Amino acid sequence: MRKLTITLSKIAVSSFVAIIGLNSCGNAIPEEGAESSVSDKAFSVEEVLEMVAVENDITRTLYTKGIVGAGKKQGLKFDEDWQDDEVEAGPLPALFLRGISSDIRKSSVPLGLYLGSDYPINASNKLEGKQAALFAKIKANQKPQFFYDEAQKVHTAMFADMAMAAPCVNCHNDHKNSPKTDWKLGDVMGATTWQYPSDSLSYKEAVGVLNAYRNGTKAVYNAYLKEIADFKTSPKPTIGKTWPSKGFNLPTAEVFIDSVRKLTSYKSLEVLVKKGAAVTSN
Amino acid sequence: MFKGNPLRRRQYIGSLIGIAIGVICYIILPMKSAEDFLSLGPMNTGHQDLSCVACHTPAKGNLFQQIQANVAKTFGARKSGVDFGTENVDTKKCLECHDRPNDRHPTHRFLEAKYQDAIAKIDATQCETCHTEHNDTRVVLPDATFCVNCHYDLEVVNDPIDVPHSKLIAKKQWSTCLQCHDFHGNHIYKTATKIKDTISLSKIDAYLKGGKDPFSDKKKYLPLSEEEWQKVKKKYKK
Repeated sequence: MRKLTITLSKIAVSSFVAIIGLNSCGNAIPEEGAESSVSDKAFSVEEVLEMVAVENDITRTLYTKGIVGAGKKQGLKFDEDWQDDEVEAGPLPALFLRGISSDIRKSSVPLGLYLGSDYPINASNKLEGKQAALFAKIKANQKPQFFYDEAQKVHTAMFADMAMAAPCVNCHNDHKNSPKTDWKLGDVMGATTWQYPSDSLSYKEAVGVLNAYRNGTKAVYNAYLKEIADFKTSPKPTIGKTWPSKGFNLPTAEVFIDSVRKLTSYKSLEVLVKKGAAVTSN
Repeated sequence: MFKGNPLRRRQYIGSLIGIAIGVICYIILPMKSAEDFLSLGPMNTGHQDLSCVACHTPAKGNLFQQIQANVAKTFGARKSGVDFGTENVDTKKCLECHDRPNDRHPTHRFLEAKYQDAIAKIDATQCETCHTEHNDTRVVLPDATFCVNCHYDLEVVNDPIDVPHSKLIAKKQWSTCLQCHDFHGNHIYKTATKIKDTISLSKIDAYLKGGKDPFSDKKKYLPLSEEEWQKVKKKYKK
């Protein structure tokens, strides 16, 4: 019995020494996502996803009207296979969004973005299951829908993707593979689905979400300009400060992004200031 | 020296042998020539010339900090543990070299809720599901019929091929998909419009097992070489 007591004492002392030793072996490795405390979580995930969804609506409308719509009139081509080697064209708006989504995934921001519809041109974009059920509600009232995806452990939001510009309606009605050809302006053509893993975000995390989206926009637009630079047979538009509405031109990435910023910043800043004020004044 | 207790002599010799083995291991095992010995198996196609550290990069912190963090996690003092020794080789690491804007099936695409049932059958969110390393192959799946998991109800409008997709699907000929379609979409080639002109199944099988590329020798994007990856890593190192 005495031996057992001695052994246990030795183990206890060794453990204590080991713990002290481990704690004194330099700074601890910082824990990912631990930099913001619960009190810093100024935004609910729903608020942040609504904010970035508004940015997405404005960005896509600008791209669809200002680049695709006006560009087509000038002779620019846009194609779903725009990245294929033999195709000399730019990304259609749905592909523009998919490019943004891919770029966001390269960043450290855990934001997911998808586009779907009940009548997609590409069958892989058809909404199914829970998303299809919620999309039926979105079509009826155009209100965002939120749910927690148990399988992926992510908070998910769906927002109406409206026919905001004539090119949306015209392209979908005229496309040879379109399953629906009577789209009208103002129709709910589909929905964007957004994912984020935590239920609340700090000011820094909310800004990170916006930045990830904006960086994605810039990356895809730059990829489009690079495709143009590699055109072998098609005429190349002048890249500069002017838009296709003024001739066979395209704005540079900086000009395009600057316009996006001007159109989106007011709404986004309103959300950030309103909700972030409580945190920053502490 | 060991007159008092002969056991001490054995302990002393044993300790010396142990230290000597430790020193030898410490010197020899990190050498480039020891990589084959340490490797779990031969590298997959295209990776033969990579060194271990190209994928098995050092984990954050020193050894003691890593132990400290993981002990802290065990006792509930922190939410997540840390990698021990080397970083986990995951999809994010693969994409540091293999990420391409034209990937037709990027892993993140399958994180959408609608693919829940499909990824329960084949986890396409992870590169290693198909490309498990150290297997001297290209794809580790036993057959190439995985397309069925997502495309089981495919309907092709304006079908361009002589034997329509609907017929192939009705006959459950899922192994024919790759005879026309390059899964990741990076090859530059013309897709056949007649079944007789498609790539033969035996060539596809050989390709998946690490053999000759039957689609084309031209690709739109090439992965980063180890040297290029090192340069990028150095440039963006914080």
